[in-house]
Amino acid sequence: MVELQKDPITRSDFLGFGVMGAIMGAILTIPPVAFVLSPIIKSDVLGESDVGSGWVEVASVADVPQDTPAHFTIEFPLQQVYGTKAVENPNIQDANSKFTLKNAVWLSWKAPIKQPGRQGSNGDIIGKPERPAILDRKSKGFTDSERKEIMSKLNVLSNSCAHLGCPVRWMSDKQLYLCPCHGGLYDINGGWVGGPPPRGMYRYTAAEVRKDGKLYVKHRYNIEKGLDKTEPYVV
Amino acid sequence: MIGRIRTQTAEASQVMVDWMEHRTGIVTMLEHFLYEPVPKRGAWLYTLGSAVLFTITLQFLTGILLLFYYVPTTDHAWNSVSYIMNDAYFGQVIRGIHYWSANFLMAFIGLHMGQVFFSGGYKAPRELNWVVGVILLLLVIGLAFTGYLLRWDQDGFWASVVGMKIGSYSPFVGGYVVHFLLGGDAVGPATLSRFFAIHVWLLPAAIAPLIGAHLYLLRRHGVFGAEFEYTDRLAKLHERQRLEEYARLETTEDEGEPYVGRRDRADRERDRE
Repeated sequence: MVELQKDPITRSDFLGFGVMGAIMGAILTIPPVAFVLSPIIKSDVLGESDVGSGWVEVASVADVPQDTPAHFTIEFPLQQVYGTKAVENPNIQDANSKFTLKNAVWLSWKAPIKQPGRQGSNGDIIGKPERPAILDRKSKGFTDSERKEIMSKLNVLSNSCAHLGCPVRWMSDKQLYLCPCHGGLYDINGGWVGGPPPRGMYRYTAAEVRKDGKLYVKHRYNIEKGLDKTEPYVV
Repeated sequence: MIGRIRTQTAEASQVMVDWMEHRTGIVTMLEHFLYEPVPKRGAWLYTLGSAVLFTITLQFLTGILLLFYYVPTTDHAWNSVSYIMNDAYFGQVIRGIHYWSANFLMAFIGLHMGQVFFSGGYKAPRELNWVVGVILLLLVIGLAFTGYLLRWDQDGFWASVVGMKIGSYSPFVGGYVVHFLLGGDAVGPATLSRFFAIHVWLLPAAIAPLIGAHLYLLRRHGVFGAEFEYTDRLAKLHERQRLEEYARLETTEDEGEPYVGRRDRADRERDRE
């Protein structure tokens, strides 16, 4: 039998230990914990994002071909550690250049869904992609109604696989997007066809065609709350 | 003449050994480590723990060396690894040892755990050593995961992305886990800095004292399956069977010496004294 507590502890001792322990514990633990967890506090509690929220130019929509998707690389401004505004002071010569988050966008024309896929099926049954006829005549200077039509027919998809974030690629012989990591498959609309992804590809929810015929996007995706909420942390 | 020198040297070294032993007890400790009695059959299996210790020591040593050239920033990480591999003298050897001994470390840990599990070496009084070992296993897995990203090449980058997104599927805390590892809400400079900090300081600092605890507990109870332990336990078992037999046959109130449960090395040594 071993005995750890040799002296009896009184009630006031216990209270003193409790109060002092709480104060000392808080002083000792709060600063380092908040220091290490500051990304969680910023993104989950305050809802801030490291990625710039402005519009970024993608490409001219007339460059998107009829049958196959085209991919374009875009760069969002990124503010992390040595890429923050405070560090990137233009008055200081030693300050580093800007850091960006490179994303890839897959653009394609929507193929009409003839029959929606059901649970356990091989995805939607789709027809041929439809390219708006206006694009054969002009590549810029669209009217409002033309811009609306283009946006309603355009797929603006992130290349980040909805399973675990690897970059997907278009396989022209299979007419499917394929994820190289675990074999997730999507059709030209980004709909789920096969493999482990729990949903279809992420769409850019903030996208618009401007008068110059170019597409602009923001770093926003269609993420539903609940089961499908696996955010595109890495795109 | 030569004989005298030899005797004098032996005497001098004996004085040194005695001096060290008197102050640190290190000689007895080394004796325990080097002359541990193990069963003849399957004796090689008892080297698996030492193999793990050896590879993890290699990790520490080569890791320290790699830090002389490695730069943990997104724009220089890959270049510095390339410098280590192509320009630094013996860079390929140092990094190769770090890489391969990391791989062998995982294999040795698996074999070591298997040996302990199938021989029943985790049983009383060694349960806590098993628990410490499992914590060590988790820490080593963390080291393997964080080390992969530091190369900042396509392979390590996407493997880490996949690993972090696997964390995002964990219930309730998924988002927090990912934001903690990313150091924000996108992969970038903060991610590399965090993985670097975790890989070279946090986890090694956690692993070192636990290795000490693992070895201390090993020394306290001795290697499981040592011959003397078997004879000791067998004698105990026979004694108990004999007493039970008596208790069954005789109906007296005296039931003999009660069974005190399994005993560890400390108990045995107390008995001997």
